[in-house]
Amino acid sequence: MTNLTVWVLLMPLLGFIILGLIGRAMSRRGILAVALGASGLAFLFTVISFLSMLGTTPASARFSDQVFYTWINSGVTVGVAPLTISFGLLFDPLSAIMLMVVTGVGFLIHIYSAGYMEDDPGFWRFFCYMNFFIFAMVLLVSADNFLFLLIGWGLVGLASFLLIGFWYTRRTAVAAAQKALVINVIGDFGLMIAIFLIFKHYGVLNYFTNSNGNIGVFNQVTAGGIPTISTTIICLLLFLACTAKSAQLPLYMWLPDAMEGPTPVSALIHAATMVTAGVYLVARANPLFQVSPTALIVVAITGGITALFAASIAVFQLDIKRVLAYSTISQLGYMFMGEGAHNYSGGIFLLTEHAFFKALLFLAAGAVIHSLGGEQDMREMGGLRYRLKITFWTFLIGALAISGIPPLAGFWSKDDILSSLLANATSGGGRVFYLLWGIGILTAGLTAFYMFRLFFGIFAGGYRGTGSAEHAQEEEEDDIKHGHQPRSDYEINESPAIMTVPMIILAVLSIVGGFVGSFALFGDLSWHPFATFLNPVFTNPNWTNVPVQVPVDTLSIGWLSTGLSVGLSLIGILGAWTLYRNGFFYKENKNPFYQLVLHKYYVDEFFILVLIRPVLWMGRTATRLLERDVLDGGSRSIGRVFIGASGLLRRIQTGYVRNYALAILIGALLIIVYYAVRG
Amino acid sequence: MSLNLTWYLIVSAIIFTVGVTGVLIRRNPLIIFMSIELMLNAVNLSFIAFSHYLNSVDGQMFVFLVLTVAAAEVVVGLAIIVSIFRTRRDIDVDDMNVLRG
Amino acid sequence: MNPQILSFFVLAVASIASALGVIIFRNAVHSALSLILTLLFLALFYLQLGAMFIAVVQILIYAGAIMVLFLFVVTMLASESRETELPDRIPWQRGIAATLGFMLVGVLSYLLFTGASIDTGAKTSGANSLSYVVATQGDTQAFGLALFHGFAFPFEVTSLLIVVAILGAMVLGRRG
Repeated sequence: MTNLTVWVLLMPLLGFIILGLIGRAMSRRGILAVALGASGLAFLFTVISFLSMLGTTPASARFSDQVFYTWINSGVTVGVAPLTISFGLLFDPLSAIMLMVVTGVGFLIHIYSAGYMEDDPGFWRFFCYMNFFIFAMVLLVSADNFLFLLIGWGLVGLASFLLIGFWYTRRTAVAAAQKALVINVIGDFGLMIAIFLIFKHYGVLNYFTNSNGNIGVFNQVTAGGIPTISTTIICLLLFLACTAKSAQLPLYMWLPDAMEGPTPVSALIHAATMVTAGVYLVARANPLFQVSPTALIVVAITGGITALFAASIAVFQLDIKRVLAYSTISQLGYMFMGEGAHNYSGGIFLLTEHAFFKALLFLAAGAVIHSLGGEQDMREMGGLRYRLKITFWTFLIGALAISGIPPLAGFWSKDDILSSLLANATSGGGRVFYLLWGIGILTAGLTAFYMFRLFFGIFAGGYRGTGSAEHAQEEEEDDIKHGHQPRSDYEINESPAIMTVPMIILAVLSIVGGFVGSFALFGDLSWHPFATFLNPVFTNPNWTNVPVQVPVDTLSIGWLSTGLSVGLSLIGILGAWTLYRNGFFYKENKNPFYQLVLHKYYVDEFFILVLIRPVLWMGRTATRLLERDVLDGGSRSIGRVFIGASGLLRRIQTGYVRNYALAILIGALLIIVYYAVRG
Repeated sequence: MSLNLTWYLIVSAIIFTVGVTGVLIRRNPLIIFMSIELMLNAVNLSFIAFSHYLNSVDGQMFVFLVLTVAAAEVVVGLAIIVSIFRTRRDIDVDDMNVLRG
Repeated sequence: MNPQILSFFVLAVASIASALGVIIFRNAVHSALSLILTLLFLALFYLQLGAMFIAVVQILIYAGAIMVLFLFVVTMLASESRETELPDRIPWQRGIAATLGFMLVGVLSYLLFTGASIDTGAKTSGANSLSYVVATQGDTQAFGLALFHGFAFPFEVTSLLIVVAILGAMVLGRRG
């Protein structure tokens, strides 16, 4: 099996280094050549490796763990094995899928960005950071041990920070980047503690037995012997990291604000790839999660609540990118729900399909924004159906896909998860899964509703915007800064081909991508290529300690779940069509419940009150008490002590000669008395 | 109770102490100077006493030199006092208190 | 009570009294006169102790020249300030000085009474001893011999000192 993973890792790294060093001086073509070349070659090598893997016949042979560099090889036994930490790359079905998604969608978005960012003065910087991101994400998904997973994790956080704050002269963008970084650090903390605990219990950090022969963590998990409570704590900490990175409750607040970055960034990082790192981590660490059912239930419940919560917020949002951001959070919740129901391959399947249609939706939204010269508010849009034809059709396909309408991609993946939830509930997974299944169905309806609200809001009715004349002066300057020329009504044109072609490709994938899912519903129980492909990762006959996954479902459960979800989605679309088919007219609504959801449940305000203000207060108080009073005061009081002492001593110098004579007498007397006493 | 050296030394000590007290108490610089002369004379007395009781002429010699030096010192000292206090109406050694902290 | 002890006591009381007079009198002239008296009594002490030459020299030079100089300056400077006594700026000095004075006397007396006995053995003996020379040739002879034989160098230096003092006094005493 040809494993070109190391080249997939190196290409974007080279692109990043070249662009970082000399990108400033390169021409547009040169920058594009390097960037697109790097990501394109990465994709090419991934495809070659993937096809080679498909060609490797015994499924158990689809596994390659190459060690490139042994960092620490101490020979000192810690726990069960000698302490060795090495850098290696793992290539198995799970990492192959992830690499395909990352490099494929990444490459398409690189092409799209060539058109979207063409007027931006920071062109070279953008592609430099994008290549860096691809490198970091590839490192994350192909690392063969937890340490380099952590490194990749941190690096994608850094890339996210750099790209959210790409237009660094904007205060809101910088604030959003900082918010993202701070919240992600909380997750990094969880991951680090989890890695420490893994090391403490298992003595090694690599997943599987690598080519150096060090026994991996998962091999030890399956052999048993570690108390469940420790594994549960490890899993909960890992999930904390996933919560931060994949924007689940309670650490989701950074993702809507991350929309301050350019739209290709939102598409790539905050829809298709980086936020899915959490889902990948749970899937990768599935042996650990399988032996701690408590952690799995936590994962499922968190995913479910987040899905419903985010969907409810998305219904009322007015900024088109924010609607898509909350939609991403909601869909990530679905993925976690699926993984919580032991359906890891379902979660990864939704991850893949979601990457297609969410990236598509973001790119389409970006095309709309680009055509309108920077307008992002839904109230200023409408009636763009005939002006932006390609965008219209691709957006429609994406919206249908995410609503779960058969036979598009979203249908297969979402219903895979929903039916596995119901199956898990009926076959002994616990009553809570009924509730989660219900939440999933309801959220499906909400998803369809808000998606089509967005769709009609952008494309239906008449054009409500007033063009460049209505832009505030500041906005106009910002537009020019990030390369958008202000357009008035009659200048709205379709985006150039370099932007629409990736959108079309993603639309095609959204249509046909689902067919690698399971056809059990339609009677062909033997056709489930995706799950079969991923099966060796999630089950292994040698793993004696790990409970086997819950079998998927019976036909009746499947039809029940699927029917309900599709039905609710259609109702949602119908509702949106009824309300908004003639366009989106925004009405101020004083209803307190409406205001609550419109303001995103006041979560940000809550955190400012509870967290930010106390921390700032503590900082100011520490400055006042520690710096001013203790440190400054301490050093100044040393001076004052001396001044005081010398002030006292000064009194001896009276200036009167007689006093000095008295002093002489006293001194002489002391000497005489001393000799008298001494005898 | 025979007359011996100790008695003379005690008288000398008393006169010396009177002179010291005079230096510390009086404010007229001339009287301070006179007290200093008193101290010198008390020491002269003890020298002569030692010379008598130790049967040596060195004591008297020393007194002679002390006398001479005292004379020179008085000359110069009085010249200084005159030059400082020449123009003043009231002479008080406490007026010289500028060198203080 | 032999006459020596009697004269010692009389002279002691008298000299101490006049010494106290120096520091007690308000008027500077009275103080100066009191000092002259003290010098006189001390000269008598010297006589009793057999230092005739020094006694006379004391009266001639100390009382006769130095005190005259003092009186010149006293009358020159203090003549107007007889009644005006400025208030004492450091009144606490008096108490401390008196206390310390008593302490000094006390300690010295204590030392003198309880200290090691002073070796009153003769430093010189026989024909060289002071008492012998005084008895045979007189104190002046003894003094003269010592001055021009043993102490010639200090004698010369002292004359230099006197010249310097004269010059200093002339410089300091000039007006303007």
